Amino acid sequence: PVGLASDPSWSHPRCPDDPLHLWGSVIALPASAIPVHPSPALCCPGCRQRVCLDRGMDITQLSYPFPPFLPPPRHPGVHLLETVSPALTPLPSAPLQDIRNTVGNIPMEWYQDFPHIGYNLEGKKIYKPIRNKDELDMFLEKMENPDYWRTVQDKMTGADIKLTDEQVDLVHRLQKGQFGDVHFNPYEPAVDFFTHEVMIHPVTNRPADKRSFIPSLIEKEKVSKLVHAIKMGWIKPRKPKDDTPTYYDLWAHEDPNSILGRHKMHVPAPKMKLPGHEESYNPPPEYLLSEEEVRGAWEQQEPAERKLNFVPQQYRCLRAVPAYSRFIHERFERCLDLYLCPRQRKMRVNVDPEDLIPKLPKPRDLQPFPTTQALVYRGHTSLVRCLSISPSGQWLVSGSDDCTVRFWEVCTARCMKTLPVGGVVKSVAWNPNPTICLVAICVDQSVLLVNPCLGDKLLYGATDQLLESYAAPEEERVQPVQWVTATIEEHSKGVRLVVQHSKAVKQVTWHGKGDYFASVVSDNSNMQVLIHQTSKRWSQNPFRKSKGLVQCVLFHPIRPYFFVATQRYVRVYNLLKQELTKKLMTNCKWVSSMAIHPGGDNIICGSYDSKLAWFDLDLSTRPYQLLRHHKKALRSVAFHKHYPLFASGSDDGTVIVCHGMVYNDLLQNPLLVPVKVLKGHAMTLDLGVLDVLFHPTQPWVFSSGADGTVRLYT
Amino acid sequence: SVPQNLAKELMKPKVWDHKYVEFDFLINGQFLRMPLVTHMEMENISTEEVVEIEYVEKYMAPQPEECIFHDDWISSVQATEEWILTGCYDQTARIWSLEGKSIMTIAGHTEVVKDVAWVKQDSLSCLLLSASMDQTVLLWEWNVEKNKVKALHCCRGHAGSVDSIAVDCTRTKFCSGSWDKMLKIWSAVPTDEEDEMEEAANRPRKKQKTEQLGLTRTPLATLSGHTEAVSSVLWSDTEEICSASWDHTIKLWDAETGDLKSTLTGNKVFNSVSYSPLCRRLASGSTDRHIRLWDPRSKDGSLVLLSLTSHTGWVTSVKWSPTHEHQLISGSLDNIVKLWDTRSCKAPLYDLAAHEDKVLCVDWTEAGLLLSGGADNKLYCYRYPATASDVGA
Repeated sequence: PVGLASDPSWSHPRCPDDPLHLWGSVIALPASAIPVHPSPALCCPGCRQRVCLDRGMDITQLSYPFPPFLPPPRHPGVHLLETVSPALTPLPSAPLQDIRNTVGNIPMEWYQDFPHIGYNLEGKKIYKPIRNKDELDMFLEKMENPDYWRTVQDKMTGADIKLTDEQVDLVHRLQKGQFGDVHFNPYEPAVDFFTHEVMIHPVTNRPADKRSFIPSLIEKEKVSKLVHAIKMGWIKPRKPKDDTPTYYDLWAHEDPNSILGRHKMHVPAPKMKLPGHEESYNPPPEYLLSEEEVRGAWEQQEPAERKLNFVPQQYRCLRAVPAYSRFIHERFERCLDLYLCPRQRKMRVNVDPEDLIPKLPKPRDLQPFPTTQALVYRGHTSLVRCLSISPSGQWLVSGSDDCTVRFWEVCTARCMKTLPVGGVVKSVAWNPNPTICLVAICVDQSVLLVNPCLGDKLLYGATDQLLESYAAPEEERVQPVQWVTATIEEHSKGVRLVVQHSKAVKQVTWHGKGDYFASVVSDNSNMQVLIHQTSKRWSQNPFRKSKGLVQCVLFHPIRPYFFVATQRYVRVYNLLKQELTKKLMTNCKWVSSMAIHPGGDNIICGSYDSKLAWFDLDLSTRPYQLLRHHKKALRSVAFHKHYPLFASGSDDGTVIVCHGMVYNDLLQNPLLVPVKVLKGHAMTLDLGVLDVLFHPTQPWVFSSGADGTVRLYT
Repeated sequence: SVPQNLAKELMKPKVWDHKYVEFDFLINGQFLRMPLVTHMEMENISTEEVVEIEYVEKYMAPQPEECIFHDDWISSVQATEEWILTGCYDQTARIWSLEGKSIMTIAGHTEVVKDVAWVKQDSLSCLLLSASMDQTVLLWEWNVEKNKVKALHCCRGHAGSVDSIAVDCTRTKFCSGSWDKMLKIWSAVPTDEEDEMEEAANRPRKKQKTEQLGLTRTPLATLSGHTEAVSSVLWSDTEEICSASWDHTIKLWDAETGDLKSTLTGNKVFNSVSYSPLCRRLASGSTDRHIRLWDPRSKDGSLVLLSLTSHTGWVTSVKWSPTHEHQLISGSLDNIVKLWDTRSCKAPLYDLAAHEDKVLCVDWTEAGLLLSGGADNKLYCYRYPATASDVGA
């Protein structure tokens, strides 16, 4: 009576009592209930209806929805337990069911306590058959009734039913898992409707659909959607697969100092020399040393020089060989060799030599500096030894071997004045005080103080007045030099005072304030350096002892220091304390010239062995740097007052301009960069440039040469 | 016979119609001085574009006219239509006729005359100025008829060599620049009374001098601001002074108030500066090889518009043409005077290589006379013919 619900939709089979209920899942019934419920059943969880399935039925098919109006799959053994009837024929349709009890598919326990078991078609009660058999009767019946095993109780009517033979057979077959129908052959030979082989004729002769040869609109739409999505970046194309195999360097991040790292430095132990015939206990006679050889050669040799460190000996048999006396010693040596081997290993470092050169800035980043020759000051007829410039930078003075001093206008190279002095001019120095117009000139044994009468009239007039205002002290003092007022003839030429020394004067230099000046005399005694005071016309000899041949002297621009350069050393004296402060080792053979940085902490020394030494006075008494740019002896060096420039003039006819930046930071070393080689002077008498000088305000350098010219480079 | 003559007359070639004329071509405002292809490559002109070609009648070379010999170096020159005034290192200023005749020698300075200037010219009397290294500027009156010169005023106040003077366009004031870093503005109008001097202490000495050199005059205003010597001054406008200095700057001053208006900063010492009211540009000569053109009105001081490079030494003197807005003349320590057109900045139009020593001064008069003086004691005059049709199609 399972009428599958006439649900039009293909869905779960529905419960026949209540179409809203769906059949639930397949439940398995216990095997002990086989006589009554021999197979799994479908159960409706709502009204507790149950469809028991025959074992032959394909449950997988039932679990799928099947069309409602089709009968359940026509498997031959499907029976519904409610319809178990004596006829046992499959019921053709639901209305023909034998319905003796109308209670329906309910648990019969509900009628347990009633005398009846249900209602028949007329509505009369169906009474339970009288069961008064006790256990004994039951047992007796079980023993005596031969059909007891095939008698089952119909739960719906409570009557006992004796199964027929066919029914028993059916149960047996079901228990064995066979089909219920005896005549059903499950192993009929399979007939392939379609062969796997490709036939020459089509299965059907139907012409191909139109849609099979026109592009599909749906596919086109799908493809265009995909294309759009790819365009918009919603779909990323798959990354091309990288075919290269990936390897992992397990030791990439390993610390080389770790134990494993040390294994990399493994050195295989050197193999020991295998024993030869000499070591044999019974060596051939040619290996044995004679008495003389043992005594003479072997024993006399040093142990390290010996070819063999033992004497081969012959024994009668191996047993007679004594213990080797040096065994432990040799083993110890071998162990030492092995474990001290890493110490002998040379660690070689690969360094590019270019990296060791310090990085210097490019010269064109260090501008301004003089680069080209601008003016030539012609007029001298012999070599021009010395140069000096007025503090304003308008006038230049040069002294020459043609016994004249010339005054030039800087910007036009015009010789404004020529002063014949009657001797070779060794040195000129313009007073650095801008309010005094005075030039000191070394000629032979005297220093001339000359007023060039150039520049501001008031200034040079005031200078004359200053010199004239000198009043001689009452008591005459003993002086190493003589101060002589110029004669009228000399006065008209500009000479104001003459300081007469005892010997030839070779250098004169002013103190920054312009009152004191120092002169160097060519002498071997302690009278080599003299300091003069112009306003008091007073000279003194600061040194008691001669420390060598003085080359040049220099006043510190700010502090009361005095620099004296001898052939090899530069001595720094404190004029206030009157003591030696420092002694600089120049590392040169013969110092020729010296200049001090306007900051006062750096000094450069030029030497005749073509070296230029830069001293940082704060740093050391040895040169901070030695520059060997010139090919021949240096004659002169100079610093610029404002720009970080210094220059050196040499016998090779060139002036080399270097950038010399001094930093205020004490920790930063001065930066020295050669920037320009200036050529121009012709070589005369194997001499080139004799003096160099910077312009006080512009980055220009003057050089005087042996060719009788002064040149300006800008 | 008459028709034959007529025919002969007609057959004569009309040479005056077919005068041979040379042209110069300008590509986008630059003179063409090399093959067209290389020029286009150099100037990065695309061959696809339309190129504007201008042509002008070729500027004729300046014709040498006179060579006037001096006794010493010529420091400065200024010429008018009739006379040439030169300053000389022999402490004199001289007046010459255009033909090179010496008319007058003005002696009075005790040092080298560094600059000269005309103030006023009349047929009867002229006013002129001379500045000297003796720290004074003298205002002279030159009586043309009697050919007498008289020092009217001695302008004292500078504490250094007066290197440059310039008279303003109203001819009533002049400005002087000196080595003492100062610019001073003076009155150029002669008066009979002496200006008051502050110090009365050394009066007798001054009296003595004023008897010789005219009445002492003191400056109307002093402009200070330069940190180095002033090498060149000029009036760029009625009330604007432009000064070039050794401190690497060109400064523009308001002459009325004495305020600094703007500063153009270079990186070399300036020797000379010139202003052209036609193109409103400053040209500067400095202690390198370049002549630089500046726009004095630009606010961000350091703008060089163009540099003209061909000299090999310091440019000591530059002067714009008073009639042509593109042309200027320059003198240099390499002994050469160059005539430039700003449309050809790589090469000058003409090199005037007559001097044998340093060229110290150049001048260009409105009549088209180019003058240059130098350390070879010679003053060269050139006649620069203005072309008939200045600019072609």
